Amino acid sequence: MEKTRVDFRDEITRNKLKSFLLMFVIFLIIIALGYVISFAYTPDAFFGILILSIIISISYLLITYYNSDKIALFSVNAREVKRENNKLYYDVVESITIASGLPMPRLYVMPSKQINAFASGRNPKKSVICVTEGTLEKLDRRELEGVIAHELGHIGSYDIRYMTLVAVMVGIISIISEIFLRSLWFKSNDRDNNKGNAIFMLIGIILAILAPILVYFVQLAISRKREFSADATAVKFTRYPPGLIGALEKIKYQNAPEKKITKAIAPLFFANPFKELGNTHPSIDKRISLLKKM
Amino acid sequence: MPLGLLVWMLIGILALVVMIFFSYFNRFAILGNRIDNSLSQIDVQLKRRADLIPNLIETVKGYAKHEKEAIKAVTDARKALVSAQGLEKRIRANNQLESALKTIFALAENYPNLKANENFLELQRELTTTEDKIAYSRQYYNDSILNYNNLCKTFPGMFFAGIFGKKAREYLQITNTEREKPKVEF
Repeated sequence: MEKTRVDFRDEITRNKLKSFLLMFVIFLIIIALGYVISFAYTPDAFFGILILSIIISISYLLITYYNSDKIALFSVNAREVKRENNKLYYDVVESITIASGLPMPRLYVMPSKQINAFASGRNPKKSVICVTEGTLEKLDRRELEGVIAHELGHIGSYDIRYMTLVAVMVGIISIISEIFLRSLWFKSNDRDNNKGNAIFMLIGIILAILAPILVYFVQLAISRKREFSADATAVKFTRYPPGLIGALEKIKYQNAPEKKITKAIAPLFFANPFKELGNTHPSIDKRISLLKKM
Repeated sequence: MPLGLLVWMLIGILALVVMIFFSYFNRFAILGNRIDNSLSQIDVQLKRRADLIPNLIETVKGYAKHEKEAIKAVTDARKALVSAQGLEKRIRANNQLESALKTIFALAENYPNLKANENFLELQRELTTTEDKIAYSRQYYNDSILNYNNLCKTFPGMFFAGIFGKKAREYLQITNTEREKPKVEF
């Protein structure tokens, strides 16, 4: 009987703490960037730039914190669905919310032939679930229930908050850093603007130093343990491992790599969208064999 | 000076004890509420199910008038469900209704026009969905009781349960016809 118990309290505390830590580190990073820029460019305006960078970093954090789910949904071109649009999808989600006692999330569909899904949001009340068109076409009711229960497992444990924050906050930083590094590459031939070069050099160096820290946070987010525990939670909700196993087997044999998904949000997905490198997700075979033992 | 320190320590310990009491009291209240909520969820789903039946009967009558017996079994089971008092009786009535509905759906195979009717198919789908939801709400009800009872029966919750006068609750124990049998897919 003990194994039917679903208690997220420890996971919730951990995820909230990690989210806070992540935001704090990003806050410090942006201020450090502001400091370096002011140091290199206009030492006189140091305090002005410091205040500016504090304002920028706080607004950046607030905007991404309250909109991370929207950014993730926007990046995959998802559209909202109501019950009228897809009753099976809606009813399956509603059934599992009844089984789990979680609130009803908003539902989205994204264009892709793959079988895949992700959940996002900052808490269960403000959560969203997004599945691909392929998922709704290829999975039967029990398999869809398994996938949805897995996503609701991420929602109940607050995985969604931390994972989406990592994807969006770090994702944007990594995109910006790529742009900077690329422009550094082009600027190296440009002899006219030495001062500008120096700034880009500095920013490039800082980003090179910060990159391992960001990688650390991304690795924390994509921990395989989260996927296994969401699978286990899914079985506790549905009491029917074959549903989830069936979905995973269909993914194994039918999914082709999806190129349209940005790398930053890949860890959010039910199964690795790219397939070739398995490091954001545990292998499907491993997940299936664990589920068969339940 | 040592006296002042002692007083502060006592205040600290007292505050800690009060906090622990509060947190356990709240824990019992939260888990107790969860049981009540899941109980009302079962009722919501049972009612939704009962509400679908008259429509179904009308549709079936339009195509299969002669199946009086099967139709009567469903209307009777619905009546029993609506008038049943107490959760256990209602669940039993629902199981009765479930088997009566199975007969109707099996009979529908003999009436191609009924089987092809949009309205009938829609009702059949809705009824399966509510059956699923009833099963899940019962499961959540028992899960909620399990959480509550675990708190009541393990230390230190046991100690607080004694103080607050909380007792372990009864599970819903009726043979689960829905979850064990393979589900019929429509």
